[in-house]
Amino acid sequence: MRLTKMVMLASAAALALTSGAALAQDVAREDTVIFDLDRTIKDPGNFNWFTSGTKRQHGAHQAMWEPLFILNYETGNLDPWLGTAFEPNGDFTEWTLSIREGVEWSDGEAFNADDVVFTVNMALGNEELSQREAATIRGQVAMVEKIDDLTVKFTLQNPNPRFHVENFGVRIFGSFLIMPEHIWSEVEDPATFAFAEPIGTGPYTFTSAATNRAIWDRNDNWWGAKTGFMDLPEPLRLIWLETGGEESRAQLMASNQIDAAQNVTIGTFEAIQARNPNVIAWHNGYPYAWPDPCARQLEINTTVAPWDDANMRKAVAHIIDRNQIVNVAYEGTTVASQTMFAQYGSMAPFIDAVVEAGYGLPASADVAAGQALIEAAGYSMGSDGIYEKDGEDLSVDIHVNSASTEYTRTIDVVVEQLNRAGIAARSVPVENGVFWGEVLPFGAYEMSYSWLSCSSVNEPWASMTRYTNHSVVPVGERSPGFNNTARWNSDAAAAYTAIVDEMGGLGMGDPAIPAMVAEAYQYLDAEMPFIPLVQAAKLLPYNTTYWTGWPTVENNYNHPAFWWNHTHQIIHNLEKAE
Amino acid sequence: MTSTDQSPQTRADRATAKRMRRFDNPWLNPKLIWGASLLLFIIALGILGRFVWNLDLVFTGSTPLKLPPVGFENLRRQEGVWDYPLGTDGGGRDILALIIMGAPNSLFVGMLASLIGMSVGITLGFTAGFVGGRTDDTIRILSDVMITIPPLLILVVFQAAYGDVSLTMMALLIACFVWQSPTRLIRAQVLSMRTSGYVQMAQLSGASTPHIMFREMLPNLVPYLFGSFIANVTTSIVTAVGLEVLGLGPQRIPTLGRTIYEAINAGALIQNLWWWWGIPTLLLAVMFIGLLLINLGLDEISNPRLRKLS
Repeated sequence: MRLTKMVMLASAAALALTSGAALAQDVAREDTVIFDLDRTIKDPGNFNWFTSGTKRQHGAHQAMWEPLFILNYETGNLDPWLGTAFEPNGDFTEWTLSIREGVEWSDGEAFNADDVVFTVNMALGNEELSQREAATIRGQVAMVEKIDDLTVKFTLQNPNPRFHVENFGVRIFGSFLIMPEHIWSEVEDPATFAFAEPIGTGPYTFTSAATNRAIWDRNDNWWGAKTGFMDLPEPLRLIWLETGGEESRAQLMASNQIDAAQNVTIGTFEAIQARNPNVIAWHNGYPYAWPDPCARQLEINTTVAPWDDANMRKAVAHIIDRNQIVNVAYEGTTVASQTMFAQYGSMAPFIDAVVEAGYGLPASADVAAGQALIEAAGYSMGSDGIYEKDGEDLSVDIHVNSASTEYTRTIDVVVEQLNRAGIAARSVPVENGVFWGEVLPFGAYEMSYSWLSCSSVNEPWASMTRYTNHSVVPVGERSPGFNNTARWNSDAAAAYTAIVDEMGGLGMGDPAIPAMVAEAYQYLDAEMPFIPLVQAAKLLPYNTTYWTGWPTVENNYNHPAFWWNHTHQIIHNLEKAE
Repeated sequence: MTSTDQSPQTRADRATAKRMRRFDNPWLNPKLIWGASLLLFIIALGILGRFVWNLDLVFTGSTPLKLPPVGFENLRRQEGVWDYPLGTDGGGRDILALIIMGAPNSLFVGMLASLIGMSVGITLGFTAGFVGGRTDDTIRILSDVMITIPPLLILVVFQAAYGDVSLTMMALLIACFVWQSPTRLIRAQVLSMRTSGYVQMAQLSGASTPHIMFREMLPNLVPYLFGSFIANVTTSIVTAVGLEVLGLGPQRIPTLGRTIYEAINAGALIQNLWWWWGIPTLLLAVMFIGLLLINLGLDEISNPRLRKLS
């Protein structure tokens, strides 16, 4: 009797489980878009984007949380989204935001000025909210107030002509995301709140997540469709799936098991296309890749001997052969960096000013000049071809994120170049989460490969301000917003900071700016707190088997980096393939 | 069976003679010879290669990328050239230089780890078996506990935390996990040998413990130890290659496992760069077959019953 009961219970449970599984799979493949995720979701139940970890780029800020504005990389305009206008006063110290009418959270509550004021105040009053966007708001905003339900006024600490793009415009990767006041106001400590049942204003709601995937389903009751802002997007389900390395990424793409893949090398892309002609990229032909605005550089911890000596850093800069990095690590799909800036047309006046002033970096190496600087610092070449001083070899550990072949191979090339010039360099590959969570922000490295001057796309200040001495913290403390992780804090840094601060108050397009950039750049050139390497190129395969409407150079409604906050635009542009 | 019955006397004679010859010199075992030749081939490749080939080609960026071996074409329709006869990889390294450097490196790690592990194992095994008592208990429990720990797990954690390691360091680490089986096996052998007449005779004649252990008993265990050693080399190489294929071995020193890791990581399969992963895999296969043959050969030598009779 008992046994039969138990068997029945067990079979009922099994039935429930299988039907549950069936429920989870009832969206057809052709109604699903599967995006590639290049990292593990360490804490899939945590959606507190203010703290570090994978809490946004697994779909949360592409599908669920919408930005106020989106910078359009192709037109240069700020496309309105949840906001409709953002107007400054005459001296850029006050900014007035107008919010779109009719926006709703997915639980039906209205999205309005209270949410904006609450979220900004929460970031202002809580140092523990450490993400870059929150730290930037803290560094800029003095006060935020509600004018009416759809109007918010920001009063800034200093004039900032770029306040709107910088904080709310998805200029690089993300934006300051507004959180629902009716949920977060109940929270005791916003730094530890997990937001495990996240809601947003976007057309998709959270369904489930594990360490290797996150699933989002369409909310047919989305405010945008009701108000006529936009039609509902076509995909019924979005999945972000961790694919692992380049090989598995490529195989999944070739066999139509993902629709958008992270960066691959050009050889792999050609191989995918050979097997699956439906796969496309930004350009239809060589070099296929989209120029990413985050130029690559060698980060240096300027507090660690011997790299606390500016001449030693300059020596490394001389030894690096950028052309070889382009040819070996990028297989010719990018170009060498001349300055810290992304080589976009809109940045040309500033890059030209730096190059004309004589601070541009050469594409090839001058090993002899580098070695002369090392010898001037008291080193002599040992019998093993490595410099030594007081019996100790000149060595350096270069930390590199092991998530992509692009990163590790660039550092392999740099390590080789340094070794041949007499510096015993060694690559230390670390896992993505450790790299961004522990190595970079806390200065736990000698040198490292990253893109921390990334920020500027149409004006120079945003990148330059990342290396001012305002952001210097001791090794072991978290650099605010990954700014000045080099901990560059010399007299030159102070002189640099003075010029950059002055530049910050000038309006975009002010004719004085290029000369000021060149003037400030002399300190970067003299002390090299970081060494610009090459421009970044992202070769992102898109699959047109199930979905068309991907961003390409012909269909350029915006750029193709689908891990950014602007991916809302991509998703709205997708159409079911015939 | 019937054929043996019907075969003429002369053939049986010849078979007997052959068997007798085999008994005369058990070391002339074909398996042993084949296995040793395969290993010698790899060692020779490493030694001779160093004289005839430019080993600077082993470093990143020293050759054109992704060239196929001579006589083949890659996906871009480039043909292999004699400058790089086995092709090049995606980082601009010559495959021939990689295997000249890498194959002996892999073998070296295996040999060194095994040598250390064996030395520890022999010492502990003899001590435990011969001295007995508390010492025996301690060693036995220690090795029994250690044998249950999966080495790869510990090594992965260790190397992931440590980042880059040298070949010697890696060998030392692996050695920490290969001493337990020899310890146990030798202890068992020693226990059974301890009661044999010649050992008791030696004890009666006042020989010291180390003398009995290493001068009287050890020579009788030599073939047995060799077998155990070779098995350990295999285990060590498998462990080392396993770590390297996960990307956890030495970074700049070429090894076969690391080459395979980089090939997989860079999408060599989908790009059909078979020489990048295929040639190191083939060499590893040769190495393992060589070790296996040696092991089988040594088994036959130490255990005459395994020898074939015809």
